[in-house]
Amino acid sequence: MEKYDAVVIGAGNGGLVAAIRLLQGGAKVLVVEKHNLPGGFATSFRRGRFEFEASLHELNDFGTKDNSGDVRALFDSLGVTDKIEWLEIPEAYRVISKEEKIDATMPFGVKNFIDKMVSYVPESKDSIEKFFELAKNVHAAQAYTNSVNGVTDQKVMLSEHANFVKVGSYSVNEVLNAIKMPKKAKDILNAYWCYLGAHCDDLSFVHYASMVYRYITKGASMPKMRSHEISLALVERIRELGGDIWFNTEAVKIITSKQDNGVEGVVLNGGREIKTRHVIANCAPHIVYGRMIDKVPEQIIRETNARKLAGRGFTLFLGLNKSADELGIENHNYFLYDTMDTVKQYELMKTIKNNRAQATVCLNRAYPECSPKGTTMMYFTTLFMSDDWGNVTAENYFKTKEEYAKEMIKRFEQDTGSKIMDSIEEISIATPMTYARYCGHPEGDIYGYESQYWDGLTPRLLMMAEDHKTRGLRFAGGYSMRLSGYSSAYFSGDITGRQTVGDIKKEG
Amino acid sequence: MAYRFKKQIFGFMDLLRFKKMVKVRREKLSGAPSTPLPKTYKVNETAKILHPGNQSVKLIDIVKDTADTKTYTFELTKKTFFRAGQYAVLRSNVGESLVSRPYAISSSPLTALKEGKVSLTIKKAGFFSDWMFKNAKVGDEFTLGAPFGQFYYEPLKDRKTVVGIAGGSGITPFYSMAQAIKEGSEEFKLILFYGAKTEKDLIFKKELDSLVSDNFKVIYVLSDEKKSGYEEGFITKKIIEKYVTEEFTAMLCGPDAMYAFVDKELEKMNVTGKYLKHEANCIGVRDVKPKKYKLKVNIKDNSYEIEASSDETLLVSMEKAGLKVPSRCRAGGCGYCHSKLISGQFSIAGADKRRLADAKFSYIHPCCSYPDSDMELTVPEG
Repeated sequence: MEKYDAVVIGAGNGGLVAAIRLLQGGAKVLVVEKHNLPGGFATSFRRGRFEFEASLHELNDFGTKDNSGDVRALFDSLGVTDKIEWLEIPEAYRVISKEEKIDATMPFGVKNFIDKMVSYVPESKDSIEKFFELAKNVHAAQAYTNSVNGVTDQKVMLSEHANFVKVGSYSVNEVLNAIKMPKKAKDILNAYWCYLGAHCDDLSFVHYASMVYRYITKGASMPKMRSHEISLALVERIRELGGDIWFNTEAVKIITSKQDNGVEGVVLNGGREIKTRHVIANCAPHIVYGRMIDKVPEQIIRETNARKLAGRGFTLFLGLNKSADELGIENHNYFLYDTMDTVKQYELMKTIKNNRAQATVCLNRAYPECSPKGTTMMYFTTLFMSDDWGNVTAENYFKTKEEYAKEMIKRFEQDTGSKIMDSIEEISIATPMTYARYCGHPEGDIYGYESQYWDGLTPRLLMMAEDHKTRGLRFAGGYSMRLSGYSSAYFSGDITGRQTVGDIKKEG
Repeated sequence: MAYRFKKQIFGFMDLLRFKKMVKVRREKLSGAPSTPLPKTYKVNETAKILHPGNQSVKLIDIVKDTADTKTYTFELTKKTFFRAGQYAVLRSNVGESLVSRPYAISSSPLTALKEGKVSLTIKKAGFFSDWMFKNAKVGDEFTLGAPFGQFYYEPLKDRKTVVGIAGGSGITPFYSMAQAIKEGSEEFKLILFYGAKTEKDLIFKKELDSLVSDNFKVIYVLSDEKKSGYEEGFITKKIIEKYVTEEFTAMLCGPDAMYAFVDKELEKMNVTGKYLKHEANCIGVRDVKPKKYKLKVNIKDNSYEIEASSDETLLVSMEKAGLKVPSRCRAGGCGYCHSKLISGQFSIAGADKRRLADAKFSYIHPCCSYPDSDMELTVPEG
């Protein structure tokens, strides 16, 4: 039987980074991926003369050489930054809610952002400045926490990061109300909420503020050849470092020891067993504990049952046979909402019938050459906050997804005034069923476990050691301690990979 | 002075709340029920019907349609649904080789979903089909891949009327569409022009005639025979305009020579770009003097030294050697055979349909690549 120091299950963003960290730590590593491609959702696909990005709207926290973000620093230390050609996203976002007469286009850069906000909402100056000061404090506290691997000194936290500790337990709206931000400014500032997938009464301020801060101070980036370029660069690095990576290979079981319930090996599809004492699972604990491990302690079952599945994905991809100028598409990144009340919007997003929110990207506005001259490439994404797609039968599936896609296009046309319906040259529609098939996530979830108040970023990080209950088994990716999103998944792989290197060294 | 946040009357109360977060989460986690975790989920189960993966199937019926075509009907073991017009890969051991070929599904989507049956109509035209004609018998077991492909009606893109243009065995996806329109699994109007050499080469003529309705018409065009009730010659603008007055989307399935001819006719009618689609044909042999090369293939932790030939695709060489490697469209487009090139020179048949980053990081699609030197590849297991 083949023996590895560690097996990484799933070559998603978290798994790929974890594998590099393990290899850099001297471990012998096997990555198994059930799909024929790496990256999980970080991939691309071709239709006719278009190559569509499968999921990345913009990479947060990457920055530039002179203003490096944490993801760039991570990629530098992984040795992959220069394997990828990067481009910068021109502006933060445009948020539209026809219902509430909001149409705001926000720039990158703190000063620019504040000035623009004040131009839309003159009485917001004091509160938006306070927001960025708090966000800066949060970011500094997180940098400190990372620098000491999560083992913080309480005195340092209280003296140097008091604001972080004080805002730490509150939701986005609780803090914005406390700093007396006017409603319209809150609405514009909260536009990014759908990137985290919990409404702003529930979502932790710390989590949201740190994301916004990274976007606005570092800008956002895209790899030129779509996220597939990042995924292949990471695979390249794994191979350079001597790691093995097997595609079309599904891990079906994790063998655990009778003595300590710890990891002893992995069973692959077809029955082949791989001996290892360390597994990094880049997949849902619901799947791992639900069907990959035979005897799961009751406490772990309770803990897994306590978690809430987050947004289930739906994306419409369009290749259009006219240029963005001809079509009247002005911006790169749109957030279109039915209502700016995130709690109400979250409720509407529970059903196919009511959900019309969308985060829409026109890649040509960031990278005009992403599709042939005279064409435009767009993707429209939404989340479903319940299992409504579970009610769609196979027989009704194609009609349901096409009708829904049509509503998305209509909403975009209504809100922006552009006309795209007659220019569709290529179309592809990904539903929760697509995501369920592609990555095996329960219910087509693309956001891991929801960032609910009690299960948000801070408590997860504070309980990282305590959450590690099975010897030799750690998690990476959207379901783990950094929650979902590209940069978070990369960071989770970094953390979990380094922790596993520590585990291996302790064993000697 | 730096801003100091305070929400509650006394700042320390904010601190206490922060400290309680761990306790709150601990209680939430422990307080959940210990009911067993689900083994699966509704969406995931539906996804399995739409994308069933490989399944073992039993051949239950063989019908000889014409002198050189037979329809093979298989009993499915997994619940399966698809879009009329899609294909599936049929795989079997043939001597020392493990061979697979994509064939358009000729039966209807609801026949698969409700009766658990799928039919493939195969023309005797090459290595695998010859073998099928000679050897396949009722009761035999095969592996069938998941339905795949984009050759189907797209209501948001295509015009309400589709002009189908079929050449020879290219009729199969359209026969599935005609049945789908009747059973209600597809909703569009199909006007089908079906070209064949002579009347006796027409596959499914009786069946197609019986499906004619307001939403399905069929016009037969014979190239080598004059007969009343049939159009004669090739499928031209003139013939199309005789039967179609409205705007339409054209879908073509047949040999490449037919595409070259009909595309020109359609261009005269301004049916180009988004209104025109072709089903891709399998890549065949390259017209060069066969030259032998060494091909090293790494699959997981095994390596194989096999022989490749300059006139055959790398996929064919690997299949002939009995290697279990992935294959699906065999036309370079679907990317399922995505493999890492370690060393060697190759040529791609037709347009390069790889993703941009694949070319950058040296990944190739063996189904459409011919060797130009000794080569080494790392290939996923099929």
